Amino acid sequence: MINKKNQITPMQFILLIHGVQMGVGVLTLPRELAQKAGTDGWIAIIICWFFSTLISLIIIQIMKKYPNGTILDLVTHYFGKWIGRASTIIFALYFAILTHVLFIREALFIQAWILPHTNILILILLLSIPSYLIVRKNISILARYSQFVYFMTLWAILIYLIPMKHAEWLHLLPVLKEGWVPIFTAVKTAILSFVGFEVAFFLYPYLQKKDKASLGIVVANTLSLLMYLMITIGAFAFFSPDEITIYNEPTIIILKVIEFEFIERLEIVFFSFYIFVISTTVLPLMFMTVFCTSQLAGRQDHSRHIAWFLLLECIFAVLFPPTFDNNFLLQKMIDQAGLILAFAFPICLWGYVWLHGLFKRRASK
Amino acid sequence: MKRWFLVILFLFLAAILSSCGRSIPLEDLAISLILGVDLDEEDNLIISESSPVFNSEAKKKIETYELEAKTIRDSRRHFDALTPGAVTAGKIQVLLIGKRVLEHEDWFNVLDTIYRNPTFSVNSRIIVVDGPVSDVIHYEPEDKPQLPLFLKEVIDKNIDRSRTVLATPQSLHRQMYEKGMTPLISELKKGQDVEIVGVSLMDQYGKYVDTLGMQETSLLIILKDKQTEELTISIPLPELGDEGGIFNKNELSIDLSRIKSKVKTTYNQDKFHFNYKIHMTASIVEQLFTSGNVKENELEKMIEQELKSRFEGLIKKIQKNKIDPIGLGIYARAYQYEQYKKVEGHWGEALADSNIDVSVDVTIKSTGAIR
Repeated sequence: MINKKNQITPMQFILLIHGVQMGVGVLTLPRELAQKAGTDGWIAIIICWFFSTLISLIIIQIMKKYPNGTILDLVTHYFGKWIGRASTIIFALYFAILTHVLFIREALFIQAWILPHTNILILILLLSIPSYLIVRKNISILARYSQFVYFMTLWAILIYLIPMKHAEWLHLLPVLKEGWVPIFTAVKTAILSFVGFEVAFFLYPYLQKKDKASLGIVVANTLSLLMYLMITIGAFAFFSPDEITIYNEPTIIILKVIEFEFIERLEIVFFSFYIFVISTTVLPLMFMTVFCTSQLAGRQDHSRHIAWFLLLECIFAVLFPPTFDNNFLLQKMIDQAGLILAFAFPICLWGYVWLHGLFKRRASK
Repeated sequence: MKRWFLVILFLFLAAILSSCGRSIPLEDLAISLILGVDLDEEDNLIISESSPVFNSEAKKKIETYELEAKTIRDSRRHFDALTPGAVTAGKIQVLLIGKRVLEHEDWFNVLDTIYRNPTFSVNSRIIVVDGPVSDVIHYEPEDKPQLPLFLKEVIDKNIDRSRTVLATPQSLHRQMYEKGMTPLISELKKGQDVEIVGVSLMDQYGKYVDTLGMQETSLLIILKDKQTEELTISIPLPELGDEGGIFNKNELSIDLSRIKSKVKTTYNQDKFHFNYKIHMTASIVEQLFTSGNVKENELEKMIEQELKSRFEGLIKKIQKNKIDPIGLGIYARAYQYEQYKKVEGHWGEALADSNIDVSVDVTIKSTGAIR
């Protein structure tokens, strides 16, 4: 199953995970944090980074026990065939719903900001085509895509610095204005922006140099941390703490003040580029979905599954016209599942694997 | 078979690539460059707009309409009925607001569509008009460029010279919601010509309170520590004796640079204390008295004295009106959070009670090319 052709380099491993973490969440993150903890919200991001890095390292430790298979093979190995199947179904469902939420959200954002008069169905249809072309091949194609998009969109950071001339850094003071309690409530919001590292469960066996896995996943989390910190602190300094909660997507609003002699409304150009960044979240998740389903069907080739999945998305969009409200509602649900799957599940599994190893050693003595 | 399927699929997909289906030629558009909001004598909302005409047959190069409407968005319906083109609001350069509007507390909600509708530009310049907006929007000077460009240039130039402030929908939104600061907008007046007056100050509900002239605005900008490229101040030095005569012989103009204003915020005896330390270097660009009888450090003292009394006058004016255009509330929040939280809802009053000291330190860098 794993041959030389579909292996990924440590760099691709980092950028795949970072890509899955960085997505649509960052557009609303500053507002969500400000609602909970005011301008101290950025501290919550650092706390979350600590937790997510810890769990990520645990995931790598687990995967070391069974280095040539994915989490599905590992569960099958430890718990038998039926539990393995059940976990495949759970992962498939989780990834499918998450992909659905983000895929539809991507279309909704495009409609709201760029093409307000275009039917959402057409946008979904048009998004499906490149998605199909990228996801139908193996993981290394996807990894190269993530790497390419990362470097292609890196300039966006520089653009983001331009509005900072209007920033008022005093907004950030005093640090810890209301103590630690609001920050801990904000942790629950911020932790969701780090969800995504659980794809390491599936990527690990494809990694070329396994000894780089721990380092890689720490770097991936840290890259996301730096991006989140920069965007949130920037937004907190730019907006007054009394107004930031009014904007739905403060991250885009900041860009609206940029004005050059030759171009106005740069946020539209920027946002069009940002679609690529969103796609590095959606496409790997879509890949994970069909990877699980094809595993379930016992097939190697998943290109037919991806076609079916995208067709289902279109049908779904016809039957239930997507709106931001029901999209957010669905996301709230899947977020809970994400917390369990990305945080609780690795800890439990690690405990089990560790105990298992312990007993095995005893027994062999 | 498969090839045909792909060809048909390709044609089908190419057919739905229709994002430019609603293309509109430029000459069929009425691109509003100025949007005016005003109240008439009976307090009806008057919306006006002015847009360039792209038509070789039209004699006038700019069309201006004015009408009564319930809201800004509602006015578009009427404008569409009046102009041959489709009215678009994405390129508004200047937003004129009549002073009559500002005399009511809850006027800010009128601008809601600017923030709600993503196609609106948030970089247009907001200007308060002292008098009816229609006088300004119908003003067609023969020796000046088209009004929208003219207004924007005038405002931008004066911002560069620190004589008025940059007020855009974005900055106004921030100032309206910020509890530790009250809004300020540049103000103009239509007399013989259209001219910039300075800035209008508002209270925390957006209600008009007072106007600052250009020199006072420059001082306010120093207090806000937001000076731009150039800042020149002309002051008389009364200590030099005579009144100055016809040719204002005690007048001095200085170009201020490297201005650093630091504020120290403390709280004791139940009030806030703001301690300003302003350092600046001055170069003399004009002096109508002979320099022989004044030593340089005496001159520095005199300038410091004069500027200090002007700063104090400005602060007194601000405190009397119970407003905070400087944004000292932001300092209070940053350094005295607990005390600030108690008075956040009525910060203007708290500032009026507080103690603001200013100390000015001027260093003369050069006295020019002649003695």
